[in-house]
Amino acid sequence: MAYAYLFKYIIIGDTGVGKSCLLLQFTDKRFQPVHDLTIGVEFGARMITIDGKQIKLQIWDTAGQESFRSITRSYYRGAAGALLVYDITRRDTFNHLTTWLEDARQHSNSNMVIMLIGNKSDLESRREVKKEEGEAFAREHGLIFMETSAKTASNVEEAFINTAKEIYEKIQEGVFDINNEANGIKIGPQHPTTNSTLPSSQGGQHAGGGCC
Amino acid sequence: MVFFEEVQTRIKRENSSKYFPGGKKTSRFEACYAEMSGNMSDSEAPHAATEGIEGAPEMQDPSPAETPGSSLPSTPDISADVAPTRKARRRPEAKPAAETEPTPKAEEQQQPAKTPSESTVSQGGWGYWGSWGKSILSTATATVATVGQGLTQVIEKAETSLGIPSPTELSATVEEEEKQQGEGSSEMEKGATDASSPVGSAMGMLSSLTSVVQTTGKTVITGGLDALEFIGKKTMDVIAEGDPGFKKTKGLINRNVTLSQVLREAKEREELQKEKESSDTEKKVVAHYGMLFDEFQGLSHLEALEILSRESESKVKSVLTTLSGDELIQLREELDQIKDSFSLVEFDEEEVDDKKDEDGTEFEKDLTSAVDGVSVSATADKLCKVCKNTRSTISNMSKPQEDDSLEEEKTHSAEDVHTAAIRSLAELTARSIELFHKLAEMILFSNGSTDASVLSQLTVILCKEISLLSKKFTSCLTTAGFNEKGDVLNPLITGVFLEASNSASYIQDAFQLLMPILEISHIQKRAGPSEQ
Repeated sequence: MAYAYLFKYIIIGDTGVGKSCLLLQFTDKRFQPVHDLTIGVEFGARMITIDGKQIKLQIWDTAGQESFRSITRSYYRGAAGALLVYDITRRDTFNHLTTWLEDARQHSNSNMVIMLIGNKSDLESRREVKKEEGEAFAREHGLIFMETSAKTASNVEEAFINTAKEIYEKIQEGVFDINNEANGIKIGPQHPTTNSTLPSSQGGQHAGGGCC
Repeated sequence: MVFFEEVQTRIKRENSSKYFPGGKKTSRFEACYAEMSGNMSDSEAPHAATEGIEGAPEMQDPSPAETPGSSLPSTPDISADVAPTRKARRRPEAKPAAETEPTPKAEEQQQPAKTPSESTVSQGGWGYWGSWGKSILSTATATVATVGQGLTQVIEKAETSLGIPSPTELSATVEEEEKQQGEGSSEMEKGATDASSPVGSAMGMLSSLTSVVQTTGKTVITGGLDALEFIGKKTMDVIAEGDPGFKKTKGLINRNVTLSQVLREAKEREELQKEKESSDTEKKVVAHYGMLFDEFQGLSHLEALEILSRESESKVKSVLTTLSGDELIQLREELDQIKDSFSLVEFDEEEVDDKKDEDGTEFEKDLTSAVDGVSVSATADKLCKVCKNTRSTISNMSKPQEDDSLEEEKTHSAEDVHTAAIRSLAELTARSIELFHKLAEMILFSNGSTDASVLSQLTVILCKEISLLSKKFTSCLTTAGFNEKGDVLNPLITGVFLEASNSASYIQDAFQLLMPILEISHIQKRAGPSEQ
């Protein structure tokens, strides 16, 4: 259960693009075709391993409905990563990306890593947004990009983990101040005491990066 | 005093691990932090198990310096608390401080408030009366809470004059224990004494003193009772102040650390501790409330609720700065009305009847009617389900055991019951916090007219349920562990009561977090859809 870092993620994007399904696939490894409309925000958490370190992802899955926007915006602050999701079978969800992006940039810290996700890649026959368009948008705005399918689980792990890797790299580069929790990163409980005699698998690696 | 200190040490050793699960307190975390940065952790935790006396007090040491700040927020509301259920109102944040700081130096009411129970509880280390004394005393903690330092002396006096009951005497009263636990707090309120039990008398005396102080305040003190002169001026101020709820809320919002932060940190510490002491067999059986609470997403919901509460509060403030004159006075009055409904919440419903609401239908009915009209039915359903499951767990575990001749019980050992209890409490609390969070979102979202009374009613319902379930669990625990030794069973029972009291505190804190949300919702409603 102990982790080296905790990253806060938010998942944003239009209603019905599959945000909650992505989360469920990532945390529970299952797909639920019919989902209750998310009210405000729901949560998920999962442990991943990057560079031999346990990292806990705490994911805030926000409501996509426009009417909830003023509430969900409140939750952006203090996120280290964001998954900005659109539906490749619905052009309008792609067209709204700019608004979402502005919103996200305005209400969160500037270093937040944003992953653009074109979801429902299993519905190739109904595709309205080409993969290249997504890539171009991501390139233009400095985002990471992936197409995923919450249904088939394709790229879902990768989307969450690659975002974490990016955050992790930023930490290593010193871009993120890990002691400032407004950045959405918390240091795990065992971090400051890794020099103890515990039989801890990731213990030794931390010694150099002490925070005190 | 030497005697007293030795008792302190004993209780510390006994409790160091036990308090830990409930250690979602600033003081504990800060203690931990101090300990970490002081590089003490290496030597300490692994040894704590084997060399309790040396290890545990060390762990406690850093806390006294830290607690005054952290204990402040929840302090003011204590004053008016008399009702039985209020035993649940307090997180024992300051326990370690009170233990190590018996001098009148500690002026904060909260801290000394704990001292009486600690010092009395500490007697539990001497004999069999622990389970009884502790659980009752933990309920007494809240009752005693306002009365500051002075009561320590009162209690000591009471104890010395009444004497400490012999183990045999007490084991004879074991039968009564359960009953007493159920009725204990209400009995104490009335100052009822149990002639056959010295402890009962002690408690009776103690609580009658307490309630006298609480109800009649100053007059009693000027009227005599030397010991009460020790009560700090601050305590008096608090008693005199008529607006505890507001102050509490203010404290909640003003404090540097948010509740969820405190909880998270405590949980992290638990994780750390758990890992460290994984070899310690005693620790293995201890269910970790904080970790479970987080697992059920209680922390996240609390954090989100805090965000909404803070934002609403600053919005209210900024609206107030734009107004002037009559408009401002008018709005302030209206907001004060909302505040009042938050501070005047009385959790004085009759002591929860164990027999009542056996299957939880009443709770479900109450809950459903309370949230009726607010679109949070999905969340309320989840909560009801948890309650139902908890009840069936309890009834499963309460079934008579056939193999009680076996030393090692295979079916539902006391540890099993304890684990189930802590787990259920954590889940129930997490779901309750979730419900409050969803309510907050719906209030902000719909701008409908949610009355504060609905929310306070809900708070009462939830706390009642927590209290009821914890009682069922402890009676179940007593049955399951009837052939366990006291020092095995007692910490388990205390643990359940402690976490139940924590649960209720979190629920009440979450309730207070809703206040700014109702305020801003009110402002937006009266301003019409054009503004904000």
